[in-house]
Amino acid sequence: MPSWTLLGQALISGVLIGGLYGLLGLGLTLSWGLLHLINIAYFGLAFLGAYLTFELGTKHGVPPWYAAALIVPAFFVLGAALHWMLARLRVTGLVSLLVTFSLIVIIETAIHWTWTADFQRFEHHYLKESLRLGRFFIPTLELMAFGIAAVLSVVVWAWLRYSYFGKAVRAAAQDPAIAAAFGIDHKRNALLLSGVCAAAAAIAGVFIALTTTLAPAQMFAWFGVVFAVVIIGGLGNPLGALVAGVLIGMAESIAMAVIAPAWAPVVAFSLLILLLIWQPRWL
Amino acid sequence: MLEAQGLNVAYGDATALWDLSLTVGKGEIVSVLGPNGAGKTTLVNAVARLLPIRGGRLMLDGADVTGLAAQEMCGRGVGLIPEGRRLFVKMTVEENLELGSFRRAARDARNQTRERVYDMFPILRERRRQIAGTLSGGQQQMVAIGRALMAQPRLLLIDEPSLGLAPVVVEQVFETIRAIHASGVSILLIEQNVTRALAVVQRAYVLEGGRIVAEGRPRDLAAHPHIREAYLGAEA
Amino acid sequence: MKRSRHAGIAIVAVAAVALLFLPAARIPAFYESFLYLIFYWIALATSWNILSGYAHYLSFGHGAFFGAGVYTTATLTTKYDIAFLWTVPAAAAVAALLAAGIGAVVFRLDRLRGELFALLTLAVAFVLATIVLNTPIDGGPGVYLSSVPLPKFGVGPTATIYLMGLVLAVIAVGAAYFIARSRLGLGLFAIHDDEDVAEAKGVPTFRYKMIAFAVSAAIAGAVGAVHAVYVGYVTVGGTFDINVAVYVVLMSVLGGMRHWLGPAVGATVIAASLYAFTSGDQVIIGRAIVALGLILVIVLLPDGVVPTALARWRRWLRLPPAKAAAVAAAPPRMAPGEAVVGADAAAPVLACADVQKSFGGIHALRGVSLALHPGEILGLVGPNGSGKTTLINVITGQYRRDSGSIALAGREIGGLAAHRIAALGVARTYQIPRPFAHLTALDNVVLAGSFGRLRGDPDTMRGEAQYWLEFAGLGGHAHRLPGELNLHQRKFLELARALAARPRILMLDEVLAGLTPNEIETAIALVRRIRDTGAAIVFVEHNMRAVLQLSDRLVVLNYGQVIAAGKPRDVVREPDVIAAYLGSANA
Repeated sequence: MPSWTLLGQALISGVLIGGLYGLLGLGLTLSWGLLHLINIAYFGLAFLGAYLTFELGTKHGVPPWYAAALIVPAFFVLGAALHWMLARLRVTGLVSLLVTFSLIVIIETAIHWTWTADFQRFEHHYLKESLRLGRFFIPTLELMAFGIAAVLSVVVWAWLRYSYFGKAVRAAAQDPAIAAAFGIDHKRNALLLSGVCAAAAAIAGVFIALTTTLAPAQMFAWFGVVFAVVIIGGLGNPLGALVAGVLIGMAESIAMAVIAPAWAPVVAFSLLILLLIWQPRWL
Repeated sequence: MLEAQGLNVAYGDATALWDLSLTVGKGEIVSVLGPNGAGKTTLVNAVARLLPIRGGRLMLDGADVTGLAAQEMCGRGVGLIPEGRRLFVKMTVEENLELGSFRRAARDARNQTRERVYDMFPILRERRRQIAGTLSGGQQQMVAIGRALMAQPRLLLIDEPSLGLAPVVVEQVFETIRAIHASGVSILLIEQNVTRALAVVQRAYVLEGGRIVAEGRPRDLAAHPHIREAYLGAEA
Repeated sequence: MKRSRHAGIAIVAVAAVALLFLPAARIPAFYESFLYLIFYWIALATSWNILSGYAHYLSFGHGAFFGAGVYTTATLTTKYDIAFLWTVPAAAAVAALLAAGIGAVVFRLDRLRGELFALLTLAVAFVLATIVLNTPIDGGPGVYLSSVPLPKFGVGPTATIYLMGLVLAVIAVGAAYFIARSRLGLGLFAIHDDEDVAEAKGVPTFRYKMIAFAVSAAIAGAVGAVHAVYVGYVTVGGTFDINVAVYVVLMSVLGGMRHWLGPAVGATVIAASLYAFTSGDQVIIGRAIVALGLILVIVLLPDGVVPTALARWRRWLRLPPAKAAAVAAAPPRMAPGEAVVGADAAAPVLACADVQKSFGGIHALRGVSLALHPGEILGLVGPNGSGKTTLINVITGQYRRDSGSIALAGREIGGLAAHRIAALGVARTYQIPRPFAHLTALDNVVLAGSFGRLRGDPDTMRGEAQYWLEFAGLGGHAHRLPGELNLHQRKFLELARALAARPRILMLDEVLAGLTPNEIETAIALVRRIRDTGAAIVFVEHNMRAVLQLSDRLVVLNYGQVIAAGKPRDVVREPDVIAAYLGSANA
């Protein structure tokens, strides 16, 4: 049985990575909940962003913050284009899942082809320090990732809740024809929202490159977590995704500390199964 | 105000409206009657530009709006109270009303218009933070009317306002329609309930199988033998 | 359709026999291997389609069942020295159990069933991989099966594996064929179009989904078992990668998901093209091409190749459209012990006592009590929101009542599943018609008849179904799809469908809404004829004139409670009723 310090440390790292999970799930939860597209491609884009950060950082010496400044706007456009294509092809519902699933496979293949299947680590010296809080260390980089993820989730949530744009998107999600009759240009709004989702994925990707080891197969291993985050957090709910991410992160870290690191992917999945069996009303 | 010239509208594969022409003058209240399946809602949706127009022209204030998208009609002063209310059921009453005021001019006057809507329907003021889907049918109809008014429309399209409502509530709804007309808004009213419709409008068309088969003033139409049998006979 | 179906069976049979004897011709092992791989994909794709194509529950986890089979065989042969042939059914069983476990969790959900199922199955494969990787089942280094002794079916080990692959492919295609033509298949196709309505018509949706899923997984598990000895050395990475999941989807979508032979055609085409790329690098590109192909097929050929090709072939041969042969109407069977109408009219056929139902804070039903007698038409009216449709939904079992009792001919049905209630003789129509969109009018009625009170085999039900279509005035439209009918016809199809189930009670939910006055007259006459066949009717309507004309008795609901019940003319004059619903203008 590990010590309390170790458990506490595990909890902290779980919370911090939870922010990243929430950010990874943001695209899927918003597109599923508000655009009726089960767009798992954002998740693939995050990993593409991670590899691009790695590439720019190692081969061209571009610091991750500049890489982000390049990748995030580019992915915003890519996200909008992706949605435009899906809307143009009139795919919705389960078909959108099929199509975006195929897109992920293509992205994974492209990554595999370009960067090989080897494990790669972005070796960098940025922010290797940690803050000290009593007996616990809080790695600065992970803290920053969590902070940015949390802020983004809250901002997106508030935007959807209180702004006219947010209300328009939510209205159009419920009844697109009548929303149009009241002047709401859902096509344009959806493109904007999709761009934001892809941009969030890009930010997640940058932090993935900075904090984890990359490998093409890893993508599918993370999938279970993202799916769990989206379902547990509630479709279309950015704050829910954050909270779910943190919960799952904590559960995983405890499991890793108490049992063994390799079992982490099973934790998120088991939580999900338990939730589906219990079936709370908000599901 | 509104003029349809020889409209041809298709619903899926089938042509639903054939060579349809009608007008609604400024400040007029006009009804389109007819059996279900005749194309009344198709007509409303075509005028609101929710359905594509395959042939003919639609003129609004003298401008050709045939090719416009639905979003643009709102900006030109066309309001819609759809069949079955179609509120944004997961949003509050207040949010539904707010979403009505998309037009720039309407948005500036939003607070005033909203207060006027609450004056017209005091119960909505009480329930303004309630989720629209939990209101009764009659209350939902009030929100639908309020939402359309928030856009400060000059032409209001009303589709089957009495559908699914108890007779007592239908009375109130038609009173409200009279009041809105009195304030200067032109109205195109689609209604199943012939007696009530003819009691409130100045002119009416009869639509059957996608074509206009009769037009005239309420007095004249009520006496028309075809109408009598098919509709008022059922009410007699 | 019969002609092309027989052609299909003939082709498969001839091919199977020819392929059976191929090894005896001593062709090079390379070709046996190539053909084995085609059989492998045929079996995987066809088995996937049994649930995912027929019932539209897309699974992305077929690889998990395949992998479960692989590792069952690997473990049993290497660690426990069990003879290979015994491990094949064991692999099938393990895979089926895994499927049953997943199904038990997901298939009971109400919302998001399809989406959650798809994503959950995707996650399962990788979780299973993690488990296998971190336990002694594999542990990391992989498992060698090259020294596992194989049974001697053919002239050598490759021939044996070839033959086992062929057998599995035939089993898969055979299972797909027989399921498609069975009651199970009809139920799955109904679930595909509208699961809630299928349940309400008597299809045991949970059970059928579980069976289809288990069969599908079992075949995949068996394929895994054979494949384990084919490759000789299995690793977690190689077994549980995303390939199987992607390929079977494309193969089935391409070939046609509603047809038993569709996935086999898709599998043959794609597998043959795929193995033209043999080197390592090109396999990766192959995967991307398959994924791209999937997108293209979904967008351009959504029905798949086989149905589109069949339709073209039929047009080319200038054959009439499928199933145009008229079906002779057969009079309906009598229900066992069905009394003549009017006998024992004292005992109610439906009795609700103090039924309550709330949704969150909304009390939709606050204690409703009413009785329906045999041969009676009971009008149920009330303002919007008074609970009429909720009451119907509670009686049919779509919602579970919170308290109170609902008895059908004395038997409590309050807690039963919707499909059981339907099978006991409760039928309803929907205010907005909900026919099964991909089934013809006739098949819609056949389904209701097969799963209704007098259960039957779909084939034998066709005559009776035609009878009910004619009863409702739709005799000439038997072979049309519901989308081709107008509103009036679809409403009457709802009636025919409800009648074919031979219900004891029939609940009509605003059946007159949207009809012209003439159509209303026809509908009223039809309702009377329905009553004459012996069913008791609950008639929910807003059209007061029709209600007064038709009802023997009238019940008025307001805010979830009964405020009046009795003879229509009397009820209509009660002050409470007038105040709540009719308004003083109509008093």
